[in-house]
Amino acid sequence: MRLLLAVMTVLALATPVGAQRQDTTRLPTGVRLDVFYNTMNRPLVAVRPFAGPPEAAAVAEQAHAIIVQDLDYSDRFVIAEVPEALKSGPVALSAWNDLGVVFLVTGEAEPLGDGYLVRLALHDVPFGTLKEIQAFRVPRPSDAGFRMAVHALSDELVRWMTGQPGMAASRIAFVRPSRDGGDELVVVDSDGENLERVASAPVLVSPAWAPDGRRLAYAELVDGAWQIVERDLETGTKHVVVRAPTGAVSATPTYTPSGDRLVFAMLYGNASEFHEYDVARRCCMRRLTRSSAVDISPTFSPDGRQLAFNSNRIGSPQIYIMPADGGPATLLSPFVYGESSYYTSPEWSPTGTKIAFHGKSRGGWFQIMVADAADVGAPVSQVTQEGENEDPSWAPDGRHLVYTSVRASGQGLYVVDTFTGRERRVVSQAGAKVPAWSPTLRRAAELALAGR
Amino acid sequence: MALRRLVLSSAVIAVVALGACSRRQPPPQPAQQVDDEAARRAEEERRRREEEEAARRAEEERRRAEEEARRAAAEARNILVEMVHFDFDRSDIRPDAQAILQRKIPILRANPGVRMVIEGHADDRGSVEYNIALGLRRANAVKEYLVGFGLDPSRFETQSFGESRPLDPRSNEEAWAKNRRAEFRITGGGDNLVLPRTSQ
Repeated sequence: MRLLLAVMTVLALATPVGAQRQDTTRLPTGVRLDVFYNTMNRPLVAVRPFAGPPEAAAVAEQAHAIIVQDLDYSDRFVIAEVPEALKSGPVALSAWNDLGVVFLVTGEAEPLGDGYLVRLALHDVPFGTLKEIQAFRVPRPSDAGFRMAVHALSDELVRWMTGQPGMAASRIAFVRPSRDGGDELVVVDSDGENLERVASAPVLVSPAWAPDGRRLAYAELVDGAWQIVERDLETGTKHVVVRAPTGAVSATPTYTPSGDRLVFAMLYGNASEFHEYDVARRCCMRRLTRSSAVDISPTFSPDGRQLAFNSNRIGSPQIYIMPADGGPATLLSPFVYGESSYYTSPEWSPTGTKIAFHGKSRGGWFQIMVADAADVGAPVSQVTQEGENEDPSWAPDGRHLVYTSVRASGQGLYVVDTFTGRERRVVSQAGAKVPAWSPTLRRAAELALAGR
Repeated sequence: MALRRLVLSSAVIAVVALGACSRRQPPPQPAQQVDDEAARRAEEERRRREEEEAARRAEEERRRAEEEARRAAAEARNILVEMVHFDFDRSDIRPDAQAILQRKIPILRANPGVRMVIEGHADDRGSVEYNIALGLRRANAVKEYLVGFGLDPSRFETQSFGESRPLDPRSNEEAWAKNRRAEFRITGGGDNLVLPRTSQ
């Protein structure tokens, strides 16, 4: 039944544009309602309750619950109900095969030192084989690192089953209103748990993760001036990279893929520049570009050779790409001459050529869109439909996006899987803005125990 | 007792005698002296009253002038800080904003010590980041407009708050229209503002 429902959902998403329930007559020219591919196989996965001695029962139960939710949130599988009769005892793959289960995950937990050992096994049900088995060390559930360690195990399961990277072991930074009327930079896990305050300022925007996941850069307005700041998340140290001169705004920092440099926009009324700063050596500020329009929100391709950015050089904000070392810029957003349109906030996917942004045309609502830098001029995909959606940021798996949404069903941060179109709310928070999804923060390889 | 009676009766006789004399031959001299003295006193009293009145009037005048100056300063301040509004994603100065800015120009000329920060704001639609740029464009457009009328550019600083300080937090066209604005904060020379003569 669950499978059938899922198939129907996928089919519904694959139906022609005219059958959609919302606002499709106002789709901008050059935009199609779309997910990346519609003929999708989401295998049925069962995760049996984890076994273990009584002193590890709580850990087994919590780890199981986190992993089931993570696999569901990965949007790559349909999660099977586990029948009562199959919840324990010897693994009989034929019984699972009768249920149509493709992958069966079994696990057990036991105490190990001051933490626990969690052993995971992946069974390929149709082929009747044990595909993978591995033991991992995880901290106690009361430790701050427990959930992130289990998320890393979920990502390992995704890799075992699909060969692709997951995104469970990551965090989302965003800004929300603080009690004193200013802004507060907070970080949550990819599933919305473990909220942590990082910084606050009268105005704070544009958090950007360093590729090592240890540092966050952002822009803040403090004592009447805009500054770019880098904060070390482990030590809490704050380093002011640049304080904008009077009448200027320093904005939208982004890391180069190597992580040793920050590139940001310096705005002067109608003119702007991109600057680069060496955060590794804390020196060597230099100007990269100069524009007589507003150029803002630079974002690098994973190989560091191209840059996407936002510019109003033709009068309205549009998305462009250009070689990172300078050269002509190419229009990427679906601008049509004579039609008013507005496209902003580009972010280049960490895994390829896709660029997410938000925008609208002809007075519609703001929606999240994805264009392909390798196929400029092709229709871009609109991946949201409900409410007003802004400021997308890519998960480390290169297929999920987090963004802000204001809609009838609630405000906050939402996540969409750009492959299936499945959408969920991850944070309920009025006034949440500028989310930034971290790179992978914890890897199962770091937790793996040899020879178990 | 006897002595007292004697003195009293003498006094009565003297008074009667004096009265009899004056009736017969009125001596003008002493009456004149009494009149002069009264006039002098009256004059003094009049002068004193006049001086008091003058002082009171001066005080009243001073108070009225002070009140007037305060009123003028408040009016000048209100004109200086009156905000201007913009269209969606635009930074050009609308006709209604031009009228508001035009009223500031004579005040700024009459008060050359005044310095201001022009703060640009945006509504919450569109990108948070692009809206910071938009706020700065709006502040800059206002500054350029004022400087275009010969005012010293060094008197104006520009700043952008983007969409972070809405006046009206609702999400509708009325709220958005209020929030797309430039505000004026006087940072120097704001004491004892005067109105230009023509507008008084």
